[in-house]
Amino acid sequence: MIGESRQAPGGGRMSVGQIEHELAKLRTNEDGTLALRSSVLNLIVVTDEESAPEITNSVSKLAGRYPARAVVFIADPEGESNVDVRLSAFCNVRGGGGAQVCAEQVTIHAEGPPATHLESLAGPLLIPDLPVFLWYPGEFSPRSSEFAAMAELADRVIVDSAAGENREDCLCEIAAMLEGPAAPAIGDLQWVGLSPWRSLLADTFGAPERAGELEKIKRAEILYAPGGENRALLLVGWLASTLGWKAESATREGNDRKLEFSGPSGSISVELSPDSPDARLRRIRLYSSGYSFQVSRHRALSDVRTTVMRGDELLAERTVHLGSFDLGVLVGEELRYRGHDEAYEGALRTAVEVLDL
Amino acid sequence: MADTQVLQNVLRDEQRLPRVPEPGVMVIFGASGDLTSRKLVPALYDLAAQRRLPLEFAVVGISRTKMSHDEFRGRLRKALEEQRPGEVSDDVWESFAGGIFYMPGDSKKTETYGELKELLKKLDSERGTQGNRAFYLSSSPSLFPAIVERLGEAGMNKSDDGGWSRLVVEKPFGRDLESAQELNSELQRYFDESQIYRIDHYLGKETVQNILALRFANGIFEPIWNQHYVDHVQITVAEDIGVGTRGAFYEEAGALRDIVQNHVMQVLCLTAMEPPVAFDAESVREEKVKVLKAVRPIPEDEVDNYAVRGQYERGWVWGEEVPGYREEENVDPESVTDTYVALKVFVDNWRWAGVPFYIRAGKRMPKKATEVAIQFHSSPHTPFARDDTEGLEPNVLVVRVQPEEGLSLKIGAKVPGSGFEVSSVNMDLLYGTAFLEEAPDAYQRLLLDLMLGDPTLFIRADEAEGAWKILDPVMDHWSEKREISLYPAGTWGPQEAEALLERDGREWRKP
Repeated sequence: MIGESRQAPGGGRMSVGQIEHELAKLRTNEDGTLALRSSVLNLIVVTDEESAPEITNSVSKLAGRYPARAVVFIADPEGESNVDVRLSAFCNVRGGGGAQVCAEQVTIHAEGPPATHLESLAGPLLIPDLPVFLWYPGEFSPRSSEFAAMAELADRVIVDSAAGENREDCLCEIAAMLEGPAAPAIGDLQWVGLSPWRSLLADTFGAPERAGELEKIKRAEILYAPGGENRALLLVGWLASTLGWKAESATREGNDRKLEFSGPSGSISVELSPDSPDARLRRIRLYSSGYSFQVSRHRALSDVRTTVMRGDELLAERTVHLGSFDLGVLVGEELRYRGHDEAYEGALRTAVEVLDL
Repeated sequence: MADTQVLQNVLRDEQRLPRVPEPGVMVIFGASGDLTSRKLVPALYDLAAQRRLPLEFAVVGISRTKMSHDEFRGRLRKALEEQRPGEVSDDVWESFAGGIFYMPGDSKKTETYGELKELLKKLDSERGTQGNRAFYLSSSPSLFPAIVERLGEAGMNKSDDGGWSRLVVEKPFGRDLESAQELNSELQRYFDESQIYRIDHYLGKETVQNILALRFANGIFEPIWNQHYVDHVQITVAEDIGVGTRGAFYEEAGALRDIVQNHVMQVLCLTAMEPPVAFDAESVREEKVKVLKAVRPIPEDEVDNYAVRGQYERGWVWGEEVPGYREEENVDPESVTDTYVALKVFVDNWRWAGVPFYIRAGKRMPKKATEVAIQFHSSPHTPFARDDTEGLEPNVLVVRVQPEEGLSLKIGAKVPGSGFEVSSVNMDLLYGTAFLEEAPDAYQRLLLDLMLGDPTLFIRADEAEGAWKILDPVMDHWSEKREISLYPAGTWGPQEAEALLERDGREWRKP
């Protein structure tokens, strides 16, 4: 696959008509033929100056699987009132015929008052009849009117609950927002990053004689690094909401967090420890009366090793790729879904109950 | 058992987590062959590395070559490294290879199956494979009946402990109707049809599946997809390569058996079938079989009016002079094997009555191309002056499977100017490039479906037989003839193929 990035000259304040016209011009190849526009969705991104290069890079990577009309806002409400538009297209050639297909990006620097009314700029630029995803890669305020106005445009809002300083507060705020009557469908990158872990953990109960152990779990240990607490909390929340555990108490010992749950067949104690030297999520262990189940990053951190033990006897083990946690990949995962993610919302509710204890 | 397990493992019971098959073993007969190291094991390795296989999974290879488990693993690893240098992770491979076993054995001998049974039992207890087995027949087709019979006699057609037992058969599914029926009855003597997975990797290709998506996920095509609107259909499966080193195999097969009976007939079915009520194995395959049943039989004394065979001679392809078929390695210098086939068939049902389907498949054509072209009737009346519509042709909708998967629609448009000159223009939509990522390998998809127990993209017995039934009179007729039409390599087939359409006042498209 050959990719080519094209930029429109100039910039500044442009009308919607001018933007569409310039984008069409960007699709014109050097020999005068017209490249096709390919789009399966609209993607609105709200970011800041510092993160913009990384975000733009991820957006162009997403064009491979989800060619989109991307509208990237670099917003600074503090500055002097200004709107500056830049246009680019990411074009690909595939196959022998040399036909070009392009995905477009509109980058808008909005400063001062316009930065608080981004919806007025985003709305007219959306391609009709395609789903709209709104992505906040950094910190965001679920309670602000700006967020609500933008979320109104979108079918799904993608956030990162661990992007800001107050990660646990952010989980609570998202949970509170989801309780509202017209809550948007939320995708949380901390949750997406858990998918391979959840799938691998589910695999350890794939053998019929072990599936029954799920009801007999007594203890769980999760090892993570600072910054990974939301993942750890969501993982506990998922186990609890899926297995019917009810949060009873939470205590702290040093950096560790000890949680007690009551389950269908007795109490379950869970230990969350932030002492991993490296990976945000390092290891999960579950213990039933006879078995232990472990999913742990391998010495090469990109691989993960799964083991099932009965007492000291190793019953099954395997090493596989953990998969990529590249920003573009995580966001791409979220773009596959529409509507509310009930498993996430269930996990989030339980995680917040734990935080409230 | 499957259902209770899914219910019990509530952690897996969620739409966003991928479906992972139940524990199981894949037993490959003919494991020292190319298919195992080039296709099957790389596909399984990828599935394992991408967390799509169960934790309790094993592969057992069987063939006559004497090898240890480690030698077999070493061979497979070497082949994988050659395919993708530097991309194989040591840890992941070691973990995957720990589940690979090899058993030297003669697949015709009863003892082999006693040994195999013991090994599988051991794997069940040591690796937790739960008595679930898929037997993959990748050996010479002549061994299929013996293997199936021995498996049956050893009781391995059914699994103990309530597990499943599945049988995978690679094409060719026989070499004519009679042998296909024989093979099917051999297979069905020991295995129920629901246990048999006949694999045609063509159906594992995303691009072929996209024909179904195009037809049945879009409301605008179906209303015009019939004899009221369609004048005729052309299906082309063209390759630019010759037979290469496969001369000996090709001498036995020919284009009709190698390509038309399976790939082309599948494309015909997908193009002509009625909408299935559901995308499940029985609904989809039922509709495909109905198409085959509706194909008008070609009377043996009229074969020449409906079928043309050809063979390439020396010529030029893409700037290179290439040898003729008879000059290829392991080919009889007087061979009359077909490297090109053109057919005219009718699908006699309500939808397609009177619409000819022209089908062609060949080697050493000017380029590689697979497409289905739906040519519509001309507009009933054109109000423009005759001189002004000279460049105007009937609408053609082309579904291109490869290269550059997509659609193109030929429509009439006004040529800019003061008069009212109308001409045809092609509008291309490359939906293959709309998603720029490469599609997964066909074997990956099909092996996963096999382990999950979903036979939708596999061939049912009556499909294989239905296709042979259509072609049998043609093969019988040709087997009696000692002459074959020749075409220079790098051209679109023999003159007789042109004549086949000219007689109907039509001509072949140039893809």
